[in-house]
Order: sequence, then C-alpha cells, then structure tokens
Amino acid sequence: MEIRPILSALRHNMTGALLIATQVALTLAIISNSASVIRDRLAVAQRDSGIDAESRIITQRPILFSQIDLANLIQTDLDALRAIPGVESVTITNQVPMGRSGWSSTFATERVPTAPSQSAGLYFDGGRLLETFGLKIVEGRGFRDDEIVNIDPKVQNPPPNGVLLTRRLAEALFPGQSQFVGRIFYQGNSPDAEEMRIVGVIERFTTPWAQTGPDNEYAVVFPARYLNPFNHYVVRAAPGAEAEVRKAMEAALEKNEPGRVSVGQYSVQEMRDRRYRGERALAWLLVSVTVFLLGVTASGIVGMASLWVNLRRKQIGVRRALGATRGDIVRYFLTENLLITSAGIAIGVLAAWGLNGVLMSELSVPRLPLDYLLVGVLLMLLLGVIAVLGPALRAAQLSPALATRSV
Amino acid sequence: MLQMDGVQKIYRTDLVQTYALRSLSLRVAEGEFVAVTGPSGSGKTTFLNIAGLLETFEAGSYRLDGEDVSKLSDHARSRLRNVKIGFIFQSFNLIPDLNVYDNVDVPLRYRGMAGSERKRRITEALERVGLASRHQHLPSQLSGGQQQRVAIARALAGSPRILLADEPTGNLDSLMAREVMNMLEEINTQGTTIVMVTHDPELARRVHRNIHVMDGQVSDLDQRLAA
Repeated sequence: MEIRPILSALRHNMTGALLIATQVALTLAIISNSASVIRDRLAVAQRDSGIDAESRIITQRPILFSQIDLANLIQTDLDALRAIPGVESVTITNQVPMGRSGWSSTFATERVPTAPSQSAGLYFDGGRLLETFGLKIVEGRGFRDDEIVNIDPKVQNPPPNGVLLTRRLAEALFPGQSQFVGRIFYQGNSPDAEEMRIVGVIERFTTPWAQTGPDNEYAVVFPARYLNPFNHYVVRAAPGAEAEVRKAMEAALEKNEPGRVSVGQYSVQEMRDRRYRGERALAWLLVSVTVFLLGVTASGIVGMASLWVNLRRKQIGVRRALGATRGDIVRYFLTENLLITSAGIAIGVLAAWGLNGVLMSELSVPRLPLDYLLVGVLLMLLLGVIAVLGPALRAAQLSPALATRSV
Repeated sequence: MLQMDGVQKIYRTDLVQTYALRSLSLRVAEGEFVAVTGPSGSGKTTFLNIAGLLETFEAGSYRLDGEDVSKLSDHARSRLRNVKIGFIFQSFNLIPDLNVYDNVDVPLRYRGMAGSERKRRITEALERVGLASRHQHLPSQLSGGQQQRVAIARALAGSPRILLADEPTGNLDSLMAREVMNMLEEINTQGTTIVMVTHDPELARRVHRNIHVMDGQVSDLDQRLAA
C-alpha cells in the first residue's frame, strides 16, 4: 500500500483534503445523532398503549344537551350502543388514551405536604372499561358492575375508595415493591387528601397526553360515571365490523337524543396517528436532512476527486508509464480517499459525541448508541468508496501515453 | 532487444485519420545506444510510445526482449513496462508532491518489492546520479539538471533491460545536457540498451546508431553497429 507517499502528497494539498474531511466529520456527527433521534421518535410513536386492537376501539364524544337526567340518558345511550350488531363491548369514560387532553391529578403515599407525589392521568370507568379497551390486569381484579357509581359534580360526592392503577405508577409510588393490591395511597399529599385503596393493577394504560417519558403510563382508574355532558362513549367493534359500527354508533346516539352535537368520532388508532404526527414529521425531516447531507458529502467527494483526477492527468499518465496497472490507479485514489475519510471520521466521532452531549442537555434526546455511531462510520466509509469510485475508474482509463505529451 | 516489423499506427477522429507510423520496421540490439531523430510530426514520439508499450498499434509486430507484445493485455503491458523498461522524459515528469526518495520509489512499489530491497535500490540509484544527499528534497527545490538526474535514478532503480529517453536534454542548458548525456553513456557502457528520441544532432552523433524517421517510416539507417 502507498499510504506513506499518499500522506506525504496530501500534506502538500491540504486544503481540499481538509474540506472533505470536515464535511465527512460534520455529516457523521449529524447523521448519527439524527438516526438516533429518528429511532427514538419512531419508538415513542410505536409504544404499546396497553390497548388491544386499537383500530377496533371507536370513541365518540357527543355533547349531551339533556341536563335533566344525565344518568338515565347515559344508561340509555350505553344500552343503544351495546345493541348495535358487531359491538363487543361498550363503556363511558371521561377521556381517551392519546386524546391529547384530559384529567390528571397528583397521588402520594403519605398525607404530608413534603411527601413525594406523582402526577397521573385520571380515568373514570363507567363500566366495562377494561373489557372495552382490552386492558390486562396483572394483579388483583377489575371493577364489578355493582362497584360503578355515579359522581354528580353538582353534589360533590366523594370519589370511590377502591381504584385501579397502572403498574408503572404503582412502582413509582411504592418503589422496590412487587405486590400492590390492598395498599393505600392518597389523591394529593395534603392532610385532608382522599384515601384510595388499590384493588387491581393494570399492566399498561397510556395517558391522554402519551408523554415521551415513563409517566405516559401513569394512570389511575376510578369506578364511576362522571355526570357531566362531555364524556366519551367507547365501543369495541368485532373484527371487520368497524365501518358499520361507526355509522350505527352515530345513528344510535342521534336517535336517543336528536340534535346533539358530536365533537368527533375516532378510533384509538386514529388518536395514535394524530398524537404522534409531530414525532413522525420530525423523523421524516431528519431522514430528509440525513439523505441531503449524504448527497452533499458524496457530491463533495466526487467533485474533489474529479478535480484531482483532472489536475493529475499527467501524473496518472506517468504512473501508468512507470508500471502502474489500472487497478493500481483505482487503488491509489481509493486509498487516498479512505485516508481523508478516515481522518474525517475520527473527528466526526468526537463531534458526534459532543453534539449528542449538547442535544442531551438542551433537548433531552437519548444518549447516542454506540452501534449507531458504528453504522455511521461504516456508512461514511462506504459513501467515500462509492463516491470516489467513478472518478478513480475514469482516472484508470487515462492513457499512459499522457506521460510523453507536452500538455 | 527491440524488433518492430511493419508497425502501423493510425490516429482517428470523427473526420480524419492520421497515419502516425506507416509500416515502421527496425531492430535495436542488446546493449546498443540508438538515437531516433526526425522532424516534428515525423512519428518519433509515437514510435517511443509504442516501443515503451504506452500505446497499442494497428498492424505489424513488435517483439521486446524476445517476447511478442502485440496482443498483451493492458495489465500485462503495465507489468512489462514496470520490469523491463525505464523511461526518461523531456519534462522529467517527477511527481511534484513527492520528495526525491519517494519519486524513485514509485515504479518499485508497483513491482511489489519488499521495503528493504526498495531502499537498497533507491539509495544505490541516487548515489549513482549523485543525489543521495538530496533524497528529502521536493522536485521544486531542485534544478532542471538535478530533476532529470532524479528521473534517471527512477528509471535505473528498477534495473530495466531497456531505457527509453524522450528528448532527455530538451529542457536543459548545454552544460546540464552534457552532464545528462555523459550519464546515459555511462549507463549504456554498463550494459543497458538505450533508445533516445532527440532533435539535437550533436547528441545524435554521440550514440552508436541513428535511426531517422520521416512520415512515420524509417528513412535512413546508420548501419555502423547494425551488423
């Protein structure tokens, strides 16, 4: 290999080599971090919500005009929805997962203002919520129908004592514990905070906001129908019956109380798509930036290598005259480029870590995985080889007779 | 050493075809020092390119050191050039970014020689041309005569069977030209065959035999040593 003479020659042509090395370094730093962020965003968008068959869970939020007997209207609505062919289960709740708005409250294990507390999504189970969303109980049990109570906000009756919560929230409230049923905690940490008793633990149930952190699974479920006009009806449609159920759902609710306004009918899958639109847009933006950068870097290498080939036509002819085969010429340019790219990669690895450090502290992106950096390095090496191959092959086609030409 | 019979070379463009060599035939014996002379455009350089396996030809035959080179692949021609032929060019053709040592090293690396052997040969060749002390200089730091001596060292380092020189003194003043010519004569006396293309009649007179090329053919053979 001609490494030493090539390095020696590069020392006399530093500018172009430095430009390419810098470009490679910047590209590596940016694409490896971009790839890591892309993976992170897409992983967030694909997280398990704990809900089984999201596309079959249809939610509709009609505004209930009837203020006279809301409890009765809700019950007749539920009965009407349950009677729709293809409906497997029906519930009413105050909010839906990934719906992007909803109720939350803080929960603590002590009634002491300085005690640590956790903020969690607050769901009301108007009956059959677990069954309708397809949630799994990992400890204890779900609510019986006779446990579901009506909460009238005008009366201020106290919330029920027995509740369900998610495993993540249970682990956060009771660190180091593995059994949670029967444990007591409080809604808030003030001296008069309401006491709650855990009757069951849900494996996973995402909040309406589906935060990026682990608190996206912090949820508490009360056995209650909250009697206000803004609840969500949720139905589980049988496989293949989604479209028919959606139509029938609209009609049934309209028939039960004509003229009511629905503020939207969505499947949980559609909720997911809307919630994570930003993540996917960011991922695509970063993919575009990555592809663009790779293209610019490849163009830079092709341009610089082509320029060097043109500037060294005579030299290539001389080398050929002195016995270089076409393969030797290709190898020369590949080696030269490999050295420049490797220098860029060495700087790029440091730059990637540096950039990752800044992004971690400023934008809470995850630590750059080593395998992403490694793939980035291999990609840059491959890009360098592919980009220089064309100019190198053209150089190899130059005639050795160029050595004897005066220009 | 070098035997061409009826070699024909045509340069073609879309509109014209130019006969650079028309049935050129000549022989150069081992150990000879031959000058190829002729006016501009007579085909001297084309002859040198073909003799040095830098270009192919359309018709005729060419044997170099007993080997028919007419149908060799590009790869085989490169290998043969590297092993058997040394080149000295009018404009020296040193690689400007490499120092003297590395310039002489270029053909040896293509031969895949071991580092220690290359070092021995480079040192020996540079001592032979009196430039051992300048081995770390860049070509730009040397005079024209010194650059040509480096080019001679580069040609000699590979121990070629034949040395092809294209106007080797063309870019040198008379003093330097004489020095280079003396060096070539010394190399020839040590057994290396030399074919030199030149315009200079004085240089041509100093060699064993002149081959005059005109319109792509040998027009006059000096038979002093031909027999």
